Amino acid sequence: MVEMVFITPFITGLLAFILPKAVSRQLLVLTGAVHLVLSLLLWKNTPRAWFAEYFAVTPEGLLSLLVISLLFFLIAIYTTGYLAAHRLKSENIFTGFMLLFLSTMTMVTLSDHIMVLWIAIEATTLASAPLIYTHRSGASLEATWKYVLICSVGIAMALVGSLFLTLSMELGGVTAAMSFSALTPVAGQLDPAWLKAGFIFIVVGYGTKMGLAPMHTWLPDAHSEAPSPASALLSGVLLNCAYLGIFKTNKIMVAAGLSDFSGTILIVFGLLSIVAAATYILKQTEYKRMLAYSSIENMGIIALGTGIGGLGVYGAVICMIHHSLIKSSLFLSSGNILMGYKDRLIANTGQMAKQMPKTFVAFFAGFAGISGFPPFGIFIGELFIIMAAFKSGHFLAAIVFIFSLCVIFAGFAGQVMKICFDAPADTEKTPAPDFRETPALVWPQYILLLTSLILCFFIPDALYQTIVDAVHAIGGGLQ
Amino acid sequence: MTLYTVDTLLSLVLLSVLFAFGSSRVPALIKVMAFQGIVVSIIPFFITPDMETGAVIFTIATLVIRGVLIPLSIHMAIRKVAIQRDVSPIVGYHASLFFGLGLIVAAAVISRYLNIPSISDSQLLFPAAISLLVTGMFLLMARRNAIAMVIGYIMLENGIYLMGTTFSVRARHIVEFGILLDVLAGVMIMAVILQNIKQTFDDVDTSLLRTLKE
Repeated sequence: MVEMVFITPFITGLLAFILPKAVSRQLLVLTGAVHLVLSLLLWKNTPRAWFAEYFAVTPEGLLSLLVISLLFFLIAIYTTGYLAAHRLKSENIFTGFMLLFLSTMTMVTLSDHIMVLWIAIEATTLASAPLIYTHRSGASLEATWKYVLICSVGIAMALVGSLFLTLSMELGGVTAAMSFSALTPVAGQLDPAWLKAGFIFIVVGYGTKMGLAPMHTWLPDAHSEAPSPASALLSGVLLNCAYLGIFKTNKIMVAAGLSDFSGTILIVFGLLSIVAAATYILKQTEYKRMLAYSSIENMGIIALGTGIGGLGVYGAVICMIHHSLIKSSLFLSSGNILMGYKDRLIANTGQMAKQMPKTFVAFFAGFAGISGFPPFGIFIGELFIIMAAFKSGHFLAAIVFIFSLCVIFAGFAGQVMKICFDAPADTEKTPAPDFRETPALVWPQYILLLTSLILCFFIPDALYQTIVDAVHAIGGGLQ
Repeated sequence: MTLYTVDTLLSLVLLSVLFAFGSSRVPALIKVMAFQGIVVSIIPFFITPDMETGAVIFTIATLVIRGVLIPLSIHMAIRKVAIQRDVSPIVGYHASLFFGLGLIVAAAVISRYLNIPSISDSQLLFPAAISLLVTGMFLLMARRNAIAMVIGYIMLENGIYLMGTTFSVRARHIVEFGILLDVLAGVMIMAVILQNIKQTFDDVDTSLLRTLKE
């Protein structure tokens, strides 16, 4: 039963390659809806997996799955509007791989076996590479090449990490199955030296996919070259999936009593990413790359929160959920901007508030949310992380974090103001955008932002309990 | 006796690593890669006395893929699309060779300190695995030619395979599944991409791929 959630999009994805264009657009939305229903069913009563050795429903998996489902459904609606307004040469390949991408990411959230998780993350690379190459230009080819190469090396490092895990099982005399749920109870018997080595390799490997600095170099290129719905999926969901791999491994580390070691590593990578994003975001000239750097920043925040532990983990999970919601809405809005102004450069846009008012509302609200303004959830998440950092004595980390947040806000705000209010630098060259803001192209963003807003004030009990369960497993809590 | 065979084969692998550091032409690199692929995939036959049928099939499949299919397809690719044969190094050959020597010595020293019971019989298994892995990484970073980078990636995978097959039975299962999927998919996609790089840029020199920055 559990497996149906990723088998369904896999089958429809294959179908989308051969069906007529109009049908496969509908199929995209339909699959999104079915997927959402299936994942809600998983929330309601947790069925057993057919292959219980390989797949399992875990709290952190459920959370990511719900985020994936909701995002994909809304992005699918946006995509129908996007494809109507923006001709793609190979539309069937695009829709087909979108669905296969959904299938592989769902598999990541549900896998329990260490190698199944690895295969699923590998498969996400394969399914998303054609999405980045959709425009078939020289630059998109370069971005795809970089993406595949860097992520393949990353995934190879994760395999080395998994190998070291088996070695630590061997030396510790552990005969349990190689799944996260079977290893966590016996984590204390694992050989600590090889477990540590394995964790480092896994963090480097999956961290590459997650966009942690200094392995992040593929991310801005891939996000800026992919069509906007695909960028929204990459940023909103794929990065979370990679984080899930680190999260699950960290669970074993915490159970083995090595949380100090794993925490330090995550804090270092987290801070590096935040600082790298702050450095690069200031001089960005393209708005999609700017959003990509903001994703690197947020992944850094999530890693930092996980590393600090306690309340920080709770903050990290909150940040993860809200980052997905808000960032995907921002990428969808950036798709509208790109279709309107036909240019990626910030300098060639302007006065969006006047010319594309509906997109402006979504973009500006998204900007406020991602910079951590109070009515949106990232504010709460970041606040928790800072509180946890001070409480646990990570003063230096907290100071670097707060300083970088200010820098990023300043850089981000300046660029957003230029896009929204300033007159274009060259009014001759920048004509007023010729773009109709159809409901399918703005409502998905509104719903995403609204969800983030509502979740900030009211969290349903089931959701709250699942977050607490997930956080509890790696030694976090609300204290 | 078999142990000596393993160490003899592995010493040849270590020599081929040095050769990979020093060679300036893609065809030479392909030969080195094929040789390493074959050696790495027959090692399990020597160190495991009684292998199951499944393991034998997997090992032979790896042998065919690593030793024959991939080198042959890369060879065909460079002949068909007239790709530049020079590896265009970022780090010079002398420096590369020096790095290679240092690497082998360091790998040998490190492996003496590691506590891995299953490979204590053979002196060279772990040094060879590490050397292959790092050589692959080095070629990925220090060569501009895209084919040389792909070859580097496959050497890295050979290193991982050697490491996995020698660690334990459980690790071998993992490596078999993972690496086959990885190699097939990775190379297929890279081949497609290379083809397109060729068409778009008329060359596979990745230094031309510098339009996107930061």
